[in-house]
Amino acid sequence: MKVVTGVVGNDIHVVANRLIDLSLQARGFEVFNLGVNTYLEEFVDAVIETNADILLISSLNGEAEGWCREVKILKSKYGNLLDDVVFMIGGNLVVGSGTADDIVPRFKNYGFDLVFHQVDLNTGLDALEEFMKERNT
Amino acid sequence: MSLLQEERNIILNNEYVDNFDFAEVEEFVKNASKNLFISHNFKTKNKMLVQPRGGFPTYNKMFALYEFFVDADVDVLPCTIDSNTRLNDYATAKKMLRLSEENEVDMLNGFPLINHGYRTARKMMTHFDRPISLRHGTPDARLLIETAIASGIFEIEGGPITYLLPYSKNFPLDKAFLYWKYVERVCANYSKLNEPINRESFGPLTATLVPPCITIVIQLLEMLLSLEEGVKSFSVSFSQTGSMNQDIVMGAVIRKMAKYYSNQIGVDDADIHLVYHQWMGAFPMDPNFASQLINMSTVIATMVGADKIITKTNQEAAGIPTKEANAETVANTQYTLRILKGLPNIVDKEEEENLTAEVMAIMEAVFNDSADTLWRKVFNSIKNGTIDVPFSPHIINNNEMITIRDAKKNIRIIKRGKVPIPDRCFEYEKAQCDLTKDTTSIVNDIIHDIGIMQ
Repeated sequence: MKVVTGVVGNDIHVVANRLIDLSLQARGFEVFNLGVNTYLEEFVDAVIETNADILLISSLNGEAEGWCREVKILKSKYGNLLDDVVFMIGGNLVVGSGTADDIVPRFKNYGFDLVFHQVDLNTGLDALEEFMKERNT
Repeated sequence: MSLLQEERNIILNNEYVDNFDFAEVEEFVKNASKNLFISHNFKTKNKMLVQPRGGFPTYNKMFALYEFFVDADVDVLPCTIDSNTRLNDYATAKKMLRLSEENEVDMLNGFPLINHGYRTARKMMTHFDRPISLRHGTPDARLLIETAIASGIFEIEGGPITYLLPYSKNFPLDKAFLYWKYVERVCANYSKLNEPINRESFGPLTATLVPPCITIVIQLLEMLLSLEEGVKSFSVSFSQTGSMNQDIVMGAVIRKMAKYYSNQIGVDDADIHLVYHQWMGAFPMDPNFASQLINMSTVIATMVGADKIITKTNQEAAGIPTKEANAETVANTQYTLRILKGLPNIVDKEEEENLTAEVMAIMEAVFNDSADTLWRKVFNSIKNGTIDVPFSPHIINNNEMITIRDAKKNIRIIKRGKVPIPDRCFEYEKAQCDLTKDTTSIVNDIIHDIGIMQ
């Protein structure tokens, strides 16, 4: 399965991004890593270009809150091209503090299928694999 | 008029710079107190120089910070520049400076030197009669360096590689080389008037599992690019790796190699210094543990025989430290240095020999590039992956190299990518690690290994 991944906004924190890349590869995914400092439009363009199954956005410094509100609007511009693509986001998703109870539904409402706020990398990827398995059966 | 002078005139003719008087600045540098030059302090002060970090937007807060540092017996004052200035966005820096001055809130994460102007800044920079170190992270630092020297700052940190690969995603690397070439030449020219202006490279890079051979190669290359332009005082640096033994080996090899390669390009009259950074990675939340880590860094710096140490504070995990915390860490580091006398001399021949072979193999590959000048050779070597910095966000970086810690906490290369590590050395590195694990376990190890606190 193909995954496009990267860090959203002007965030330059690259460590987690590299680890996500390595972990996905170790789990057998084909990874297209756009790296840090990537805008929403770039992500969607890459998903279409590579015909990816999954878009995995990460965010460390809280910029996700500002950038990802527009996911739904962006999706609607592409008609049904993105219908089968799984949108996943993880990291520190807001500036300041917040609880997962509050943040997860908010980001699902922005247009994400899977949302992980301050969750261990392996837990997130296990959940992704589980989600893909259920979806494909 | 020389080409360089023509370029200087263009750069200094900027709406955010007050009328720049070259003759007056030359006269100022010529007659400046020798104490302001770190190169002079290296020669005359028979101790490891202690330098904290720090920078505030307004003149008054910056002055107060310096007063605190002087009370704590600082050897070198820092001048950390705000991030808007680093990106040459002087308009935003100006607006944020005004907001900081009008309300009692800091709107900038450093001192906007260009907006203050050299005539104002010089009053502060010369007042304490101690050397000041310019810390920034600017790919195009031409205007900043002119302003700094005119203000009385005679120690300039950075370089085309070390201020780019860890800090930027796509600023053009070839441009960074040319802009820094300008900086080196300006520093070299001013160095003829009084004591030399010191240039310092930034060894910590991404501060995340960077193997010693990569750090050393980049330090040597920035040193050579600087010496080529006529700089006569240069500091190579590195940060605590997490293994005491590896730090000591690294210190020995970097000293030896710096001398060897400066002689190779026919420079034998430049002073080369060694700077050690206290732990640059993620800090423990517990301030007591953080203090222990900082203290241990000071012990290692002494064993390494560093000429200068750059300090951290026990508030590091919580955000930007207060001036009180910064002053406290200076006083504590000075105290530790005073009581650390007569430490045993550790030499690890096997590790030194291995590291030296790695460094020399990479340097040879860089020199063998077919380009005509050193900066183009280095540029090509980064582009083609001969030099690869783990965890660099820059698009030009190859990102194939993978490193982990061995059982003794040494950083080891387990995937060399296109970096020409000799087979014998690579086998040695891998032999220190447990590589029977599956990739997922190795990734988990890397997550764990990024810190040294656990």
